[in-house]
Amino acid sequence: MAKSDFDNANPTVLSVSQLPSRSQVKGHVRKGPDSKYDHILFPKQWWAGSSLNSDPSVWTSDEDEDDDLALATEEPIDEQEIYDLLSTISDPEHPVTLGQIAVVRLDDIHLSPSPAERLDPNTLTNVEVDLTPTVNHCSLATVIGLAVRVRLENALPPNYRIIVRMKDGSHAQDDQVNKQLGDKERVAAALENDTLKGIIEKMLETCV
Amino acid sequence: MATESSTPATVATTAEVTPLPPFSPDLYQRAWASIPHPTLPLIATCHHHSVTVFSLSTLSKHSVLTGGHTRSVRTAAWQPPRGKVSSSSKETKRLRLVTGSFDTTAGVWTWDQGRREERLEQEVRLQNKSGDDKDKDEEEEEEEEEDEWELTLVLEGHENEVKSVNYSPSGQYLATCSRDKSVWIWEDVGNPNPSSEEEGEDEDEDEDEWETVAVLQEHDGDVKAVAWCPDVPGRKSKHAPARRYGDDVLASASYDNTVRLWREDGDGEWVCVAVLEGHEGTVWGVAWEGKPRENDKFPRLLSWGADEVIRVWSLKEPEEEEPVTEGSGGSGNSTWGFGVPNTMRRSLKEEWECTAVLPKVHKGDIYSVAWSTETGLLASVGSDGVLALYQEATTNTTTPEKTEDVEMTNGDNAPTTTAPNGGWKVLTTVKSAHGPYEINHITWCKRYDAGSERKGEEEMLVTTGDDGVVRPWQVRIQ
Repeated sequence: MAKSDFDNANPTVLSVSQLPSRSQVKGHVRKGPDSKYDHILFPKQWWAGSSLNSDPSVWTSDEDEDDDLALATEEPIDEQEIYDLLSTISDPEHPVTLGQIAVVRLDDIHLSPSPAERLDPNTLTNVEVDLTPTVNHCSLATVIGLAVRVRLENALPPNYRIIVRMKDGSHAQDDQVNKQLGDKERVAAALENDTLKGIIEKMLETCV
Repeated sequence: MATESSTPATVATTAEVTPLPPFSPDLYQRAWASIPHPTLPLIATCHHHSVTVFSLSTLSKHSVLTGGHTRSVRTAAWQPPRGKVSSSSKETKRLRLVTGSFDTTAGVWTWDQGRREERLEQEVRLQNKSGDDKDKDEEEEEEEEEDEWELTLVLEGHENEVKSVNYSPSGQYLATCSRDKSVWIWEDVGNPNPSSEEEGEDEDEDEDEWETVAVLQEHDGDVKAVAWCPDVPGRKSKHAPARRYGDDVLASASYDNTVRLWREDGDGEWVCVAVLEGHEGTVWGVAWEGKPRENDKFPRLLSWGADEVIRVWSLKEPEEEEPVTEGSGGSGNSTWGFGVPNTMRRSLKEEWECTAVLPKVHKGDIYSVAWSTETGLLASVGSDGVLALYQEATTNTTTPEKTEDVEMTNGDNAPTTTAPNGGWKVLTTVKSAHGPYEINHITWCKRYDAGSERKGEEEMLVTTGDDGVVRPWQVRIQ
């Protein structure tokens, strides 16, 4: 992963103002997921210390924080919120975010059942994210996919089932990468690999 | 259920699966599996870098194995009781647990504490006789030392994460498997002939010494699980082609979507005798039928996986075979090979066919299925948080079931769809069995807690989830 050996030396980079956002909340101090839930759901440096997810609050729902309640009742999580969680992840090679190089696209994020249909907090919700790697043979596709999965696993409540895939035809070894990203055991093991952990930690640094 | 098991199984009309209070404490982190001890009221739960052993009597923590692995412990296996061990034997004073870890090693742990085990034994006996356990809780409180587990040996050899470990029924072999696509078979050479070592041999001579006897590399992907065929009568039946091989049969499940079966041939080589194809995704696990079959038929095998399907596989047993040569087919582990010259051996392959596909319940990976050795009931769990209970309706008939179920819920169009659901039906399901969390493991085990009316006999289910909860379930069939 030498810096001089980019898989894609000149990716197309969008400016931040070009990225999809929720226009109606502009100017309003948005209580987005980053500020609203992170202290509960995304303990700082979750990967550090002796225990993956050592913070019990990640796992329990009996916290009497108002925010927790808000999660289940008010403002269900929608595609834009998922996008916001992911678009700020850094590319492992370039000093840009996954949103800026359009690896993550709002149109390629799907929630089912849709936010309005979810009532019971135990109802499982599938989050499907199709990624568009910048080049066909991007060797870092798996790493990017892993970072996306980690970001969502840590930011979303436990009833979300995360499916991260390479968008059809965008990547030469689609099936292989998709299978790997869907394999819970492999993902868990990968996150105990110090090198990988370091890379992903760095990619997620830009997620406020 | 134990009292009814001698009569032909009747088709249940209703089944109730109700949650019992979970084991305490909560682990508050993903737990991968909970493995019950074959005879003692203990269950070992793998989570993070350690294993917590719970008492099935008190439903609370018994001991912890920690400090031996640098990455997650994925799985564990108890050393089976050797020979016909009486409850007073020294053997029961020593517990052995093997752990498989993402740190690429398997650890052999020993608990050498006769006193506590005697107490446990007493507990079992006491509770089998009466429900009187008023002093037990206090006794348990008194002993809070947790340093009695010792990591006595580390089995090294795998290049990547170890995913599963399992003992052969006699304890002679241990199988380990890994993301490195290999299955390793280790032989216990510190205790060369475990099955014959019944009477008072000196315990101290039993050393932790294992030798690698096979490295099997035919899988094309991670090997997710290994399971040995249990020592039921059918394993050595006259119909079974066991005479060409040793008695032990190992099944392995893989990321390459296949299951492979392995046996030791007459030359002491472990060979793949069958490849079971049909799953359309990672095969997460395999389980053997532990309940003896009628006419001593060879045990069947279950497999399940990411394709949301549970399959039942059966060995095609030859109708007639030539008489068994003297000296072969015996119960020993060493005599079978010599009676049959190599040239007389038939094809190395065994014919296995998928004889049933269970009704589809799960939406998402099926991570674990447990097959009761008492009742023959199946229970499955997976990423959808559903616990499902199944029964084979045809277990009480002596003739093969002819009523092909037309309403096959399995929607795929692979050739294996010719397998009907074999009379299997869903008895009941429990949704959100661990709330919104995924369930990684399910097992049957005996109940010893105060709430059971038939301690040591009544079977319950235990599920293990991403929420770090290890939950027992009462199962009532009517």
